[in-house]
Amino acid sequence: MVVGVGESPAGGQRGTPFEGARSLGRTRREATRRLVISAVAVALAPAVAACRHPRVPDDGRQVTSFEETYRGRHIRGVEVHPARQAVGSRWEVTIDGRPLHLMRRADGSWLSMVDHYCSYPTPLAAARGAVDELGPGEQLHDLAPGPMGGGSMHTGDGHDVHA
Amino acid sequence: MTYTRKDVSKLTGTERRRFVGALLELKRRGEYDEFVRMHVTYYTPDGERGLRSAHMTPSFLPWHRKLLLDLERALRRVDPSVTVPYWDWTRDRTATSVPWTDDLLGGNGRPSDRQVMTGPFAYREGRWPLKVGVTDRRYLTRDLGRARDPIALPTRNDLEWALKDGVYDTYPYDSTVTKGFRNKLEGWGTGRGSASWRNHNRVHRWIGGTMLGGASPNDPVFWLHHAFVDLQWIRWQQRHRAHRYLPDKPPGVGNAQRGRIVARHEKLPPWDVTPDELDDMSAIYRYV
Repeated sequence: MVVGVGESPAGGQRGTPFEGARSLGRTRREATRRLVISAVAVALAPAVAACRHPRVPDDGRQVTSFEETYRGRHIRGVEVHPARQAVGSRWEVTIDGRPLHLMRRADGSWLSMVDHYCSYPTPLAAARGAVDELGPGEQLHDLAPGPMGGGSMHTGDGHDVHA
Repeated sequence: MTYTRKDVSKLTGTERRRFVGALLELKRRGEYDEFVRMHVTYYTPDGERGLRSAHMTPSFLPWHRKLLLDLERALRRVDPSVTVPYWDWTRDRTATSVPWTDDLLGGNGRPSDRQVMTGPFAYREGRWPLKVGVTDRRYLTRDLGRARDPIALPTRNDLEWALKDGVYDTYPYDSTVTKGFRNKLEGWGTGRGSASWRNHNRVHRWIGGTMLGGASPNDPVFWLHHAFVDLQWIRWQQRHRAHRYLPDKPPGVGNAQRGRIVARHEKLPPWDVTPDELDDMSAIYRYV
């Protein structure tokens, strides 16, 4: 499943992402809190609602990808810039290798299918919020394109969503 | 014939048993899961493309009113005596009060995995396996009050803050508006921390577990919660008689909200009904 997050309506998460993110080593011991690159510090979107205070340095730095082990779960996220598209990008986020469907709020924050009534300032924060709600051994459905194996019936574009 | 929706704390033992029995029968027939599926499918947030009919939108109230009405009709086909009760979370505020009793919805989840172990909807009873959802979890979960970082249910004052706003909704009619009854009740706030979710959203958060996800109707408390939210719309109408659902007309050409929201006389997907037609339910049901 491709989790797409397109053009930023609020513009707060745009910035100029670094290309060529540097990949760090894969020692498990260091994995907690490991960000595979962060680049430009940008101010967050003006009105960002969070469901709880971030406990880790997920402070809105503009990142092009992230990878960490959080509470025993392997979180990965990659910002994908589609070819021939001047602006806009998508985030592909997985927890333990299974896609987490992220959606965007008008204020620039993110919601996940697991935690639908709160939004988070960054894709990483939304992924951690989803992990917080997963029980022991509980895994996301590995279905494409959507949680039901079907697309969104009213938009017809499945869960390959764009802002 | 008008029927009544009652405060769940006022139901008799027989009424409780018949309500629970009708839910279990709908589940057995496979009808219940269609309501869950509908809720997942129509969750389009305001930062994405497409028409928002259910959340972060003026039609949050009529959309859930119609979903509730359809569920109630299905329940009444099973047992004509049943109606959906409401849970007044400004009064019944603890993890052991109604509706968290063994003869209604069962209690809190256990600490290890938040699995609901008591009442008729506990997985081990064999009659409430979750079939539609975003994870492989098959059992109902709750985390009443959010144990690791406690929050409280909204109060009467929180509701009053929403009810006293005389305007139904304001532009851009999404989750960012800070004025208008609809979002004050739906509860999308700004800023960080627990003060940023209010009323409707805060109740989903307080219950936690299954009620947090897109498949929240998997927990039958969804209907009791939304019946109480629906009652607030009626209270607001009674208090502000000159005011109605907004917008009354679709946004014009070039307006960013054009095609994104449902105006008063437009069809409310997936149904062939308008917010205007769902404005007054007094010929169908009333709250007591």
